[in-house]
Amino acid sequence: MNPATTPSSEPLSQPQSRPHPAASPLNRRRFLKAAAQVGALLAMPQIVSAKVLGMDGGVAASERIVLGGIGIGNRGSYDLGCFLQEPDVQFVAVCDVKEARRQAVKKRADDKYGNHDCATYRDLRELLARDDIDAVLIATGPNWHFAAATLAANAGKDMYCEKPCTKNIAQSLALAATMRRTGRVFQAGTQRRSLPNFAFAVHLAQTGRLGPLRTLYAQPAGLKAIMSGWLPPEPEPPKEEVDWDLYLGPAAWRPFNKRELDGFNFEKGGGFMGAFGGGGCLEWGSHCVDLCQWANQTDNTAPIEYEPTGNQLHARYANGVKLVLRDDHWLPLGSCPVRFEGDTGWVETADNGDIAASSNDLLVGRGPKIGGYPADFHIRNFLDCVKTRAQPRANADVACWSHITCHAANIALFLNRKVTFDPKTCMFIGDEQANRLRSEALREPWRA
Amino acid sequence: MTHTMQRLTRRGLALAMLVSTLAAAPIHLAAADAADAAAKQRDLIKVLQSDAPKAQKAITCKELAIYGTPDAVPALAPLLEDPELASWARIALEAIPDPAADDALHAALGKVQGRLLVGVINSIGVRRDANAVGALTERLKDGDADVASAAAEALGHIGGDAATTALRQSLADAPAGVRGSVAQGCIFCAEQELAAGRNAEAAQLYDAVRQADVPKERLLEAIRGAILARQSAGIPLLLEQLRSPDKARFGIGLRVARELPGVDVTKALAAELEQAPTARQPLVLLALADRNDAAVMPVLHKAIESGAKPLRLAALDVLQRAGTVECIPVLLQAAADADADVAQSGKLALLKLEGPDANAALLARLPQATGKARLALIQLAGERHITEALPAIVAAAGDADAGVRAAAVTSLGAIGEAPQAAALVSLLEKAATSPERDGLEKALLALSARCGAACAPDLLPLAKSSDVALRLIALQALAAAGGPDALAAVAAAVNDTDDSVADEAVRTLSTWPGNWPEDAGVADPLLALAKSGKKASYQVLGLRGYLQFVQGDRQLKDDERVARVKDLLPFIKRPEEKRVAIATLSGIPSTGVLDVLVALASDPAVTEDACSAIVNLTAGELRNTAKEQCRTALQTVLEKTRNDATKQRAAGALKKLD
Repeated sequence: MNPATTPSSEPLSQPQSRPHPAASPLNRRRFLKAAAQVGALLAMPQIVSAKVLGMDGGVAASERIVLGGIGIGNRGSYDLGCFLQEPDVQFVAVCDVKEARRQAVKKRADDKYGNHDCATYRDLRELLARDDIDAVLIATGPNWHFAAATLAANAGKDMYCEKPCTKNIAQSLALAATMRRTGRVFQAGTQRRSLPNFAFAVHLAQTGRLGPLRTLYAQPAGLKAIMSGWLPPEPEPPKEEVDWDLYLGPAAWRPFNKRELDGFNFEKGGGFMGAFGGGGCLEWGSHCVDLCQWANQTDNTAPIEYEPTGNQLHARYANGVKLVLRDDHWLPLGSCPVRFEGDTGWVETADNGDIAASSNDLLVGRGPKIGGYPADFHIRNFLDCVKTRAQPRANADVACWSHITCHAANIALFLNRKVTFDPKTCMFIGDEQANRLRSEALREPWRA
Repeated sequence: MTHTMQRLTRRGLALAMLVSTLAAAPIHLAAADAADAAAKQRDLIKVLQSDAPKAQKAITCKELAIYGTPDAVPALAPLLEDPELASWARIALEAIPDPAADDALHAALGKVQGRLLVGVINSIGVRRDANAVGALTERLKDGDADVASAAAEALGHIGGDAATTALRQSLADAPAGVRGSVAQGCIFCAEQELAAGRNAEAAQLYDAVRQADVPKERLLEAIRGAILARQSAGIPLLLEQLRSPDKARFGIGLRVARELPGVDVTKALAAELEQAPTARQPLVLLALADRNDAAVMPVLHKAIESGAKPLRLAALDVLQRAGTVECIPVLLQAAADADADVAQSGKLALLKLEGPDANAALLARLPQATGKARLALIQLAGERHITEALPAIVAAAGDADAGVRAAAVTSLGAIGEAPQAAALVSLLEKAATSPERDGLEKALLALSARCGAACAPDLLPLAKSSDVALRLIALQALAAAGGPDALAAVAAAVNDTDDSVADEAVRTLSTWPGNWPEDAGVADPLLALAKSGKKASYQVLGLRGYLQFVQGDRQLKDDERVARVKDLLPFIKRPEEKRVAIATLSGIPSTGVLDVLVALASDPAVTEDACSAIVNLTAGELRNTAKEQCRTALQTVLEKTRNDATKQRAAGALKKLD
């Protein structure tokens, strides 16, 4: 097999193309410093010129974006660091149901600004009621993402919301509808949309450089359940320490158990029982499937068929392109890989920033390597859009359909059979069981 | 209705259809499946009616969301009064597509209070139960503001004349704490009207909210809706927002400016741009550009030509993603602008120009271009890889202007072919200044890497230059080019009279690009260095480079690899290189490896490394193909190692052999 010319989906132990001469990984700041030459900017996601937005030579306090944080744990702390490095952001408040986290974030913000001004809240509604806050970072566990985003939009806040953003198809549609209705700027935390290696691979797919597209591959990181259940009760801590009722939020009630306190996994993907958690499919699917949607220029729709096949899931778009979710047979390019295959070529990339392709010619103009999937480009895009009111790269409509695709795949996996989906009506065709899984009641008093 | 409006409303309809069909979707289960589901449901209902723990009942509710029929409703309904199970019961009741579920929720309105009542009302709203409008209308006056608010929003989801009338009435007299939800309900109703194409009715509802004393967020939503419902007739209201001193109203104006379709809207926005305050002009322009209307292009050009700097930059930002061949004149003008930011932005827009004709259009302008525009075109030729520009670039490399020369040299590095290597070498030999030499060096390396061995002969004169600095550049260029000629020249440079050149030659050889087996020729000079390099450092670099070759060249058979390492061992003095040799051996599943490793295990400096490698190797295929050698080697490990873990692993491996 000649790797320079032949598309392949066979397992491989080594990249088929010689590694591109590697630049050292860059984050946005180092990149901008290094990118004095015009050419280096070619393959980069576009950033609105600071001078357009009145940031030339500093930012007046009145022009800063006043930010609050909701649910700032591990991932949130990373995101917050990206926000804090932006000169036009003033972080003023943190909300978390856990006291230790509230205090840790307050200390970080106060240390940065040299004051004691960062306010702490246990209940997100109190933070959202503040008139002075323009935008919020939502980095709770996935159980809360949709409900918090809805509350934030209804309170007139823009938001950067970690993924997965929704727990089911109905929530995905409601999220997009709410952002449209309220006119809020919503950016899903799918930061790979703003990274040059993924953007370059997508560009190859969209511009016909691979020939007519045939198959898209995405890694979901586990086509299996992540359980959320009803564990044996344990003594509930004081509300000031951990507010269990607020932690549960829209999830159905269950007694306190500290093993449930890992917000990362709690109720991910719907938290269904038995074999259906959807966490795996949503965990990386919300990134990798999202990139496939982008490559296929199907940001406003979803595949029409989904079928579990062995340890993979095969889906098919109305335009005939196939989407394969698989956890193996990837080149060693890092986490969250995607691969796009057309009639005349293929490209594969992942989190180490390298790009492998069927031909080195395809790699001309690929731009600098940025490994380690930093979020700062994506967060800058969000902040720019807060000012311009434009739609960010991973806006609510984009997130809506990439999440619907993941949820529909989960439903096929749960039912362990093929399902057929109509993206116009967002219904499964002639399939009541699947249709019932499109939504789930929120616990009182929460609602969409 | 315009395409955009249809698209927007179609999505609204999709959501509406989704929630409504939860209650109405027909059952399409195959007979066998239906029998299974019925049996499963019977078991599930039994659980709910038993003394089973709540944990089990909770999960049962979730299963009934899939398998439940009207038969399950009587078992689910009582749970609505249980604070711990009500949320689970509603998961099932919201999903069961039968009026019985509506009846159960309706009945619960009179049985529960507080949060549980809010939950029941929320579920009624999700199911869009029109029969509940009367009961919900009564709840609008509930003393509990949370209950009244939930009722208002549920009525909004249900929609229709009765719900709308109730909400409009309540908009006037609801307490302040509830009015926001009543407004929300009105907006939900208006969205349904809009989705159904009843724009006038929708506009009336939005206007009602605009005129009421409601929270600002609802006011902004109503303004947006009122503009969209009126379509072109909404332009005055849109412009009112764009002129508002209020930041939030200006913000919603910018959003709607992107959503509202129509050429007349584009025209109105373009006119508005003219009179907008300078600080707001870039934001209005960006909104205008997002309309993807061809009519915007002249506005962008005008902004670049005569706008204030932020507006010019905003227009150039837009053309970086949406520029066309027709934009080349205005972009070239910007690229030649005295303002560095404008020039940079103009060049970037030219660089990103898409389309099959873009390169030809740029190339056509090169002969007549002068000054900064010419400079920009020369740079673009390289950055855009316009190979047809090569003759012009070669000529420009000898230009009298230093700036033009430098740009041309950089572009030569990007698009030059093997014959241009000689030209670059010649220019290097004549370069008078350090920056000029740096530029030429970068270009030569880039060209050498692209053109490969074909350009090596042209690099050889540089390797023989009397100038040490040029000889050093030659070594890097030769390494980038590769091939037998380049390799021979670098190998010869090991004996250069200048120490710095000889050192660089050794370093270059030891890191010779590992494109095996094409680069296998480097093995001999590396081996020579390892055995008899004139400095100890040369020997070390030779050894390491040679071992990399042994590891990397897939054409070598396993026995050949072992033999090569074995031959090298007498020349390895330092433990560091012995460890590299052991690492190399540990990747070769060959019988002969074990003997070499056993010998190395006797060297106290690397005993543990050798023992560990033996244990790893004997865990693999070798234990089947060379059982006795494995046994002997493992016994050596047991004798020699002082590491308990290694000893334990060796003992375990021996046991498995038995």
